[in-house]
Amino acid sequence: MALQFQDMKDPRLTRVVLIVLVVISFAMVTVYSREGESGLLHSIQSAAHAVFAPLELLSAPAGAAVEDAGEAISDASASEETLSALRERNAELTELLTQSEEYRQEAERLQGLLELKDTYEIEGVSGRVIGRSTDAWNQTVTVDIGSNNGVETGLTVVGPAGVVGQVISVQPGSSTVRLLTDPKSGAAALVQSSRAEGIVRGSLSGQLTLQNIDASVNLQVGDVVLTSGLGGSYVKGLLIGTIVRIEGSAGDGSRTIYVSPNETSQVLEEVTVIFNAKGDSSANRSSGNSGGGSSASGSAGSNGGGSNE
Amino acid sequence: MNNKPLIVSIIGAVIAVVLQATVAPAMEIASALPNFILAYVLALAVSRPESGLVMPFLLGLIFDLMGTGPVGAMALICTLMAFALSRLSVVLDNDTLFMPIVLIIAGSLISNIVYGILIIACGMDVSILEALVGRALPCGIYDAVLALVMFPLLLRLMQLGENQMRMH
Repeated sequence: MALQFQDMKDPRLTRVVLIVLVVISFAMVTVYSREGESGLLHSIQSAAHAVFAPLELLSAPAGAAVEDAGEAISDASASEETLSALRERNAELTELLTQSEEYRQEAERLQGLLELKDTYEIEGVSGRVIGRSTDAWNQTVTVDIGSNNGVETGLTVVGPAGVVGQVISVQPGSSTVRLLTDPKSGAAALVQSSRAEGIVRGSLSGQLTLQNIDASVNLQVGDVVLTSGLGGSYVKGLLIGTIVRIEGSAGDGSRTIYVSPNETSQVLEEVTVIFNAKGDSSANRSSGNSGGGSSASGSAGSNGGGSNE
Repeated sequence: MNNKPLIVSIIGAVIAVVLQATVAPAMEIASALPNFILAYVLALAVSRPESGLVMPFLLGLIFDLMGTGPVGAMALICTLMAFALSRLSVVLDNDTLFMPIVLIIAGSLISNIVYGILIIACGMDVSILEALVGRALPCGIYDAVLALVMFPLLLRLMQLGENQMRMH
């Protein structure tokens, strides 16, 4: 049937091809949903990420081009006189400020990672975010550090303000990180003030909710939420966020507790993958992060590679 | 034999994959990300109904392998939608733009709804309402717009190719 890229004029053949492809697809979906993270299809998907990683490197300039296009459309509605003046001023200022601002922000973020590393005594490797989820249903990022840098599946990943997710697949030069805000994510957590334990889960909207908290525990907006380390999936004592909204009250079994995420995938640029964290400095953690966060290790590899700390 | 329509559809498929990997993550609007691959499959099925099912299947599979969702889900949807839309566009063709537009919009919305249901069936812990209203609907509209932009371009390119084929 020669792949049937070409015209399919035989209806019977078309139906046979349809049935075969549908059966294959169904079989793949079924196997994928039942196998573990180390299963065949997961491994193939992970290998495919390595293939697409170089393409994802192009996404940053492509993203900038999309933003520029958006600005151009909004500029088109302004008057010509206004536009000329703005363009002239822009040309002067942009050249002077853009690069220095970029460096300043990068230094700030890296300083944050360094402070986080000191605070938690983190051993890990830092890298840059080089790609983001290509579909609307998952919240993942691709980072430019992989098995060559010692990264393994399941390791905790932190950003400048605290924990951001977990490594779900590793390739030699890159890794895929599922963010805490992803609907499939869940982290054992505790509230710093009351030591109440629960689970922080992500959602499609990117909102974090704290679940399985004892109904009798009194919680306040502003309470700090940390990883508890239970289950071993996340390193203990890392900042997840703060409680920003509580629907319902203590004693109400159906209350919903919303937690502000540390970072969203759109602003996350550098991360650290934690190999080992010795400090459980929950006492100074809240103050260390309440002001916008700062922490973690090493510099993100400016030449595309990660830096071991 | 002139293979220009085939070449055009393969080049279009490659462009759709590259756009999905590079541009799509930066084109988020109201929590919806575009699916260039699905949009291309829909536009191709309506503009060239005889184009077959293997390419939609492979494109869907590439989409699945790029992301972290269930492998095979988008392959299944692309295959079924390519079959359904190509048949319907032949049966319902009335030489106006109305039917292709309706088919593309309906195909896009149904595809995203089915994908959401498949993802939930594969274990994603979200409410069906949140999945359908919060994701499938905006993504369906987004993809429909993209497919409606691609459709006339593909139609024009396919016609050019077929004209050349007749002249030879």
